Amino acid sequence: MSLVFDEYGRPFIIFKDQDRKVRTKGLEAIRANVAAATAVSRTLRSSLGPNGMDKLLVSADGDVTVTNDGATILKEMNVSNEVAKLMVDLASAQDDEIGDGTTGVVVLAGALLEQAQQLLDRGMHPSRISDGFDRACAIAVDHLEKIAQVMEHTKADTSQLVRAAVTALNSKVVKRHSEALAHVCVKAVLAVADLERRDVNLDLIKIEGKVGGRLEDTIFVDGIVIDKDMSHPQMPKQITDAKICILTTPFEPPKPKTKHRLEISSVEQYRELQHAEQEYFTNMVKRVKDSGANLVICQWGFDDEANSLLYQNGICAVRWVGGVEIELIAMATGGRIIPRFEEITPEKLGHAASVRELHFGTTHDKVIVIEGCRSTRAVTILVRGGNKMVLEETKRSLHDALCVVRNLIRDQRVVCGGGASEIAGAIAVAEAADCCLGPEQYAMRAFAEALDSIPIALAENSGLSPIETLSSVRARQIAERKPYYGIDCLGIGTMDMREQNVYETLESKKQQFQLATQLCKMILKIDDMLQPNSLS
Amino acid sequence: MAQVSGYPPIIILKDDVDASQGIGQIISNINACEQVVEVLHSTLGPRGMDKLIQGSDGKVTISNDGATILRVLEVVHPAARLLADIAKSQDEEVGDGTTSVVLLAGELLRQAKGFLEDGVHPRVIIYAYREAHRMISERLKQIAVDVSGQLKVLRADPERVSTEEREAARALLQRCAGTALNSKLIAQYREFFAGIAVDAVLALDDDLDLDMIGVKKVNGGSVTDSCLVAGVGFKKTFSYAGFEQQPKKIHQPKILLLNLELELKSEKENAEVRVQSAAAYQQIVDAEWNIIYEKLEKIVATGARVVLSRLAIGDLATQYFADRGVFCAGRVPDADLQRVARAVGARVQTTVHDMRVEEALGTCEWFEERQVGAERFNFFTGCKEARSATILLRGGSEQFLDETERSLHDAIMIVRRTLKYPELVAGGGAVEMELSKFLRERSRHIQGKAQLLLAAYGKALETIPRTLCENAGFDATDLLNKLRAKHATSDENLWFGANLETGEPQDCWQNYVWEPVLIRANAFASATEAACTILSIDETLKTETSDKNDAIR
Repeated sequence: MSLVFDEYGRPFIIFKDQDRKVRTKGLEAIRANVAAATAVSRTLRSSLGPNGMDKLLVSADGDVTVTNDGATILKEMNVSNEVAKLMVDLASAQDDEIGDGTTGVVVLAGALLEQAQQLLDRGMHPSRISDGFDRACAIAVDHLEKIAQVMEHTKADTSQLVRAAVTALNSKVVKRHSEALAHVCVKAVLAVADLERRDVNLDLIKIEGKVGGRLEDTIFVDGIVIDKDMSHPQMPKQITDAKICILTTPFEPPKPKTKHRLEISSVEQYRELQHAEQEYFTNMVKRVKDSGANLVICQWGFDDEANSLLYQNGICAVRWVGGVEIELIAMATGGRIIPRFEEITPEKLGHAASVRELHFGTTHDKVIVIEGCRSTRAVTILVRGGNKMVLEETKRSLHDALCVVRNLIRDQRVVCGGGASEIAGAIAVAEAADCCLGPEQYAMRAFAEALDSIPIALAENSGLSPIETLSSVRARQIAERKPYYGIDCLGIGTMDMREQNVYETLESKKQQFQLATQLCKMILKIDDMLQPNSLS
Repeated sequence: MAQVSGYPPIIILKDDVDASQGIGQIISNINACEQVVEVLHSTLGPRGMDKLIQGSDGKVTISNDGATILRVLEVVHPAARLLADIAKSQDEEVGDGTTSVVLLAGELLRQAKGFLEDGVHPRVIIYAYREAHRMISERLKQIAVDVSGQLKVLRADPERVSTEEREAARALLQRCAGTALNSKLIAQYREFFAGIAVDAVLALDDDLDLDMIGVKKVNGGSVTDSCLVAGVGFKKTFSYAGFEQQPKKIHQPKILLLNLELELKSEKENAEVRVQSAAAYQQIVDAEWNIIYEKLEKIVATGARVVLSRLAIGDLATQYFADRGVFCAGRVPDADLQRVARAVGARVQTTVHDMRVEEALGTCEWFEERQVGAERFNFFTGCKEARSATILLRGGSEQFLDETERSLHDAIMIVRRTLKYPELVAGGGAVEMELSKFLRERSRHIQGKAQLLLAAYGKALETIPRTLCENAGFDATDLLNKLRAKHATSDENLWFGANLETGEPQDCWQNYVWEPVLIRANAFASATEAACTILSIDETLKTETSDKNDAIR
């Protein structure tokens, strides 16, 4: 910020560190912001849709991520521009609430800002543009609700849920196996869903990954998978009718928390001590054995002495199990977490029909699978894949699909994907714009144009001629008054998205429109920026 | 400092002290204030814009709230800092109108500048400004519309008041809140948020304690997903294994609030125990367990079903409670705990020994853990003891939520103020136009310099409608002329102000642009005070070192 001088030639210093700050004002500021935001959205544009491309991101510490998930890309991009950061926030807001459609929302916001830029150049007041966008957004959302259809599903008939999950998975690297994975997702969600309250706690679904095997080896486990093995190599690998003792105390003599010191002055005392220690071990194992447990899951470790004692007594044990897993196991098996050996009772044991150790190929990797639990409120998806990157991307894709299924359970309404609902919305907004008095109608038209950019991007990414494709779809939508026609990204040969089974949840689409509009308004409203000078 | 040749120089001040004085100094101060005003200028009104400011600590604020902007700008110029201070005091006192007060003070100073240059003594100006302020304060009292009659129904016995009357009073408050939200980012949803603000304030007891309204921000969701929860809510705290096995929805639970750590730990930090034998060893272990178990037993024995603590509740306690169907949450933020305490009528306990159970425990209708966006929230609803409200804000980004919270704060303050001082005026520059006309007329009856100065004060008042027009992109001169004509022709046109949709005059009272008179009265008073203070400073002494310190920081 340049200095101002008074009559005596002395500089005014009004704000702290004034000479080290840059101020951008007025239209120039809005332009700079719009440029920054659109730059972000342009990076994501090519990732949109079933044929979208992936990005390879290398983080500061050399970790490689391959993904086409909008929220993940933006998070890893590490943007420093403040307005661009708002775009990142936008994607994560969509991610937090809906879990899917993060790329779409950013592309839409970018398109809206590009349109706003043109209106600004023609001298329209930024807040007028915001007003127009707002009205248009309300119209588009209204229209979406009108064209939405209810997707019936019951616990028995899940085909509709699977279809929606397939749509979500189709834009990901795992496209080839989308059908199989979609089934896994639906099964997992239904297992934990509370259909009456329409509530799904996704925390109860654990996604576990193991490098190796093929994607189609991914399985749904009606129970829990822990990335551990039995503590003793000779313990049985398979336990049927397991009674599980869940411990949060180590297999060792108890230690007081208070600072303490044990003073031994004679050999005698040392022997005594050793004897006492032995006693402890035998006692512990005895207590476990007496309760009738045949499997011990322990949060902490135990040394070899305890280990072999357990083995001798025919009790299997797993050690170093994390707190989260402990909780999941307790919930699934209906057991109670036991804090010390004195409190082990038969009632507190958990129960599972089968516990087994799984081996993978020739590696030494093992996991423990706990199945057939008393309550099936916790389930696991075990993902397999050729390398770590694929595995991670698969996990992210599954998360998206899980979210879609969850949203469908919450709200059964869906709209057609493939850009169909955007085109329908654009048509509705454009029609309404013609009836609007005042300069807002230009902004509304601009909104309609921006909506069109989603199908255009889809067509571009699918290698189709964008304008030609869009105009033919549009024409058919208007002529037949059917909001089902969208871009045929997969080259199936029909524009009817119902035949293609491409559906998205209404909630997700509405949210995309609203969040993108809100962000545009926020950016358009900033006309003054005061920032530390990056050069100094 | 001045030196007279021939005599040794008399050194009064240290070398590096910068001193400047006289009329030049006053004008220099005024110029500095104008710089500050210039920053805030474009934020006024429904078409006002926002500022993005990155502070020296790298934190970014996007706001159009005058007080917030001046706070993060970190004004260091001594005279200009006065302006920042009046914005702050307006914010604390009234909660809204922070931009107007700065604009007004700036304009008063700008008008004074010409007179100073013409050789009018600053004291004369100060005297006239004070006089002008006295006159408009009286006038303001005359024209303000008293609505206490309408608002009384809200506090009356619900049985004796018809729903229509209640609705009318509610609508009245909502309009005031709506005017405050007009210029904010959430202006499009002003009715929605005004409704929330009004409901939140009305949910409170008569003392209208602001602390009983909790505002929680959850990223994600649409703005319109924001909602008001009658009761207290806070984010789920960090939990240990076993937490998920606890009940998550309890009807009429007894609630125990603690400021106590429930963990297996050494009771004394520096104590050391020496034991001689293994048996003694076991005893110590048992003793420690007994301490914690005793605490837990006592808690469960009180019959409490929900246990909250400001300090940690460890895994052992979590599992103990889970086994007994008790919900617990540790590390609850203090503000939230206090709110729960007030709402459910519980007292925060620092020990579990000798508890007076009846006094310590509170209760409410429902306790529930619910998912909001990506977070889980604990809600206490249907509280009997004290009434409270929690506003859940949803929105696309952190910045957006922060600004929404600030805007909503303004609206809530306005509603509170209106309930306490139920007199209203019309916004949209109408009241300023009326007072300006009044001063101009009065000034003609006065002989002497004050005549010009009163008129100048009147002109300064017009800066509010002028800035409103300029920000909306209309021809301010044109619209002001129309407004002046309206106000001059008839007293009927008392409430004519600018319509910022069309750029034409409108009756702002009829169009429900209402504000509590307190905002305006306070703004005029602080602006006049600040202007007079700056006008009366004719010398600044600044020690250089403090500047250097600033630079290092």
